[in-house]
Amino acid sequence: MEAIWLYQFRLIVIGDSTVGKSCLIRRFTEGRFAQVSDPTVGVDFFSRLVEIEPGKRIKLQIWDTAGQERFRCRSITRAYYRNSVGGLLLFDITNRRSFQNVHDWLEEARSHVQPHSIVFLLVGHKCDLEAQRQVTRQEAEKLAGAYGMRYVETSARDAINVEHAFTELTRDIFALVRSGDITIQEGWEGVKSGFVPNVVHSSEEVTKSDRRCLC
Amino acid sequence: APDTLSYLESASLMSGTLESLSGLGDDGSSIGSDSEINGLAVRRTDKYGFLGGSQYSESCEKETRVEVARQREVKWLDMFHHWDKWIKHRFQKVKLRCRKGIPSSLRAKAWQLLSNSQELLEANPGRFEELEREPGEAKWLDIIEKDLHRQFPFHEMFAARGGHGQQDLFRILKAYTVYRPDEGYCQAQAPVAAVLLMHMPAEQAFWCLVQICEKFLPGYYSAGLEAIQLDGEIFFSLLRRTCPMAYRHLKKFKIDPILYMTEWFMCIFSRTLPWACVLRVWDMFFCEGVKIVFRVGLVLLRQMLGSVEKLREVQGMYETMERLRNISPDSIKEDLLVQEIVALPVTEALIERECSVQVRKWRESRGELTHQPGRRLHGTRAIYEYKRRAAAISSGGSFSFLGSSVPPPGPLRSSSSLLSLPGFRKSKAAAGQRAPAPQSPLIRTAAAPLSPAPKIVSEQITPTIPSPTANNAPLPPLPDPKKDAGAPAAAAEEAREGEEKRRRKMEPRLRKSRPR
Repeated sequence: MEAIWLYQFRLIVIGDSTVGKSCLIRRFTEGRFAQVSDPTVGVDFFSRLVEIEPGKRIKLQIWDTAGQERFRCRSITRAYYRNSVGGLLLFDITNRRSFQNVHDWLEEARSHVQPHSIVFLLVGHKCDLEAQRQVTRQEAEKLAGAYGMRYVETSARDAINVEHAFTELTRDIFALVRSGDITIQEGWEGVKSGFVPNVVHSSEEVTKSDRRCLC
Repeated sequence: APDTLSYLESASLMSGTLESLSGLGDDGSSIGSDSEINGLAVRRTDKYGFLGGSQYSESCEKETRVEVARQREVKWLDMFHHWDKWIKHRFQKVKLRCRKGIPSSLRAKAWQLLSNSQELLEANPGRFEELEREPGEAKWLDIIEKDLHRQFPFHEMFAARGGHGQQDLFRILKAYTVYRPDEGYCQAQAPVAAVLLMHMPAEQAFWCLVQICEKFLPGYYSAGLEAIQLDGEIFFSLLRRTCPMAYRHLKKFKIDPILYMTEWFMCIFSRTLPWACVLRVWDMFFCEGVKIVFRVGLVLLRQMLGSVEKLREVQGMYETMERLRNISPDSIKEDLLVQEIVALPVTEALIERECSVQVRKWRESRGELTHQPGRRLHGTRAIYEYKRRAAAISSGGSFSFLGSSVPPPGPLRSSSSLLSLPGFRKSKAAAGQRAPAPQSPLIRTAAAPLSPAPKIVSEQITPTIPSPTANNAPLPPLPDPKKDAGAPAAAAEEAREGEEKRRRKMEPRLRKSRPR
């Protein structure tokens, strides 16, 4: 069964259609690269444990969203954003337009996330396709700096920086949690503590743990 | 002999590349298709044309016996020859046959007749070509192009990059954006179009897609996604009736319907169910409309979250979502699924009633809806009636068929969609069942022009007719929102289905021909 975790963070992955959101998450959670992946319709979910310090595990719950504008209607996106503590904002380094849209994505996130805030990481994806690069590292770093984000370049295909991107973001959030800048709140799903069971389930939960002991 | 791979390469040069299949591994020989790679000796698709991937069917669950299959084909061919008569007089039988599964050899034709897309095509000769000649808007073409190789990449038709399947997909998706520039392209349309293309040529598939988007599921693919959210709410409240346990579980973990039903409904389960089931569901869907989509969703939830044992395994939001997002194909048996879908007492009337409740709630909490739920037609019969009324009005301008005492044709008189015809509703109201329906703005909009109709000969004949879609317009808020306010209508349809069952028993000819 699942290992014990200190906290659970809910992350959201956003960015234009076909920048590689689903592929990046799949690489991170399943360790494989899918040549083709269906365009995401609605939302998808993934999870993985990350050990940020020896013995300190964080469970990441990752929400994959549809990139097409059509799926970003208010009531749906609000639910995504409001309950997330961190986010990866992806653009495709071989697609200039997706970089130009970074601003819009951030704006959208900001308008929905109140009263909470999201720690974002800017990700230049598909960095294995250096020859087709349309966005330089410098300008991406500059943009990230302007918004107070870190910048990482990743490739799901060649597994470059994928671990790094997720772990860095997790560490940043963890630091903020530890410093008290981010606090666990009732009714907010962004951060949950692993030590306090979120809901106490009557008899069902008891039998479940019983069964686990037998294994 | 030339080695397979180099053969494949040269073949793929002729009709696109097989790039998208590189995920298959070294076993290049598993790529085989008569549509894209002619003459290749090795052909290792399943019987639906899948070379691999999650859609691949290992073995056929059951094969219909040849005699039975032949018999069914003969029956369907007979129906084709007298289609309008069958819909008019013996619709229950048509429905029953759709529920049994349309013979695969005749599926394409049947879908086109059931959706009435064949007539649309005939009424608009050359229209598809015209649409194709238009350049289309760049913003749509961009997204469509990026999606082409991502639809059923393991199906022989869509495996080759730039191959015929992908080309056709592009043609019809683009044509749709020209046809309905106000709607453009939605990513969930691509799998739907692809399923159609697996069965029929591009032009036919296009008109079939049009019918799905405009009659069966209006608003699903429009910007704002109001229609799908509204159906999510309707779905959730239907769940409360059909499987309270699953309902409570989802509520406890705050799992909004939009999180799991979006893909199910928008792609009409084409990405969710084993392929044999997809086809059976689509057979019923074309005949009976969105009701089937609701029922499939409810059956799935009941199957996955319908018992204490099952819930024990998914204690948590994430665990639950994971279960709902990855339905194991082994857990779904075609016949059992169809059986449960057929048995579920979720009727058109119930859906419409729930719809009116949810529309009211929506208005109270979120304001006006731009989506008009009344535009939705519940399947073949409703489309047929709609067409007939429109034709009657445009030819004679009289409403005689509405006012006359002649009951609707066919052995079963109370088609649920007739229950809410203006005349019918009035008489019910007079009988004290309902307060007289005031002309609510909703009904007025539903009766008014439907879509920003493109210049086209279609069933949308004239904007001034009291559109039969008003049929489905949610009823005005009731003074007393009691729980079973809509029960009479629902009961009527249930009774009708009951009668159908009895009739089936009575009919010796059918009994004899029914497969074991």
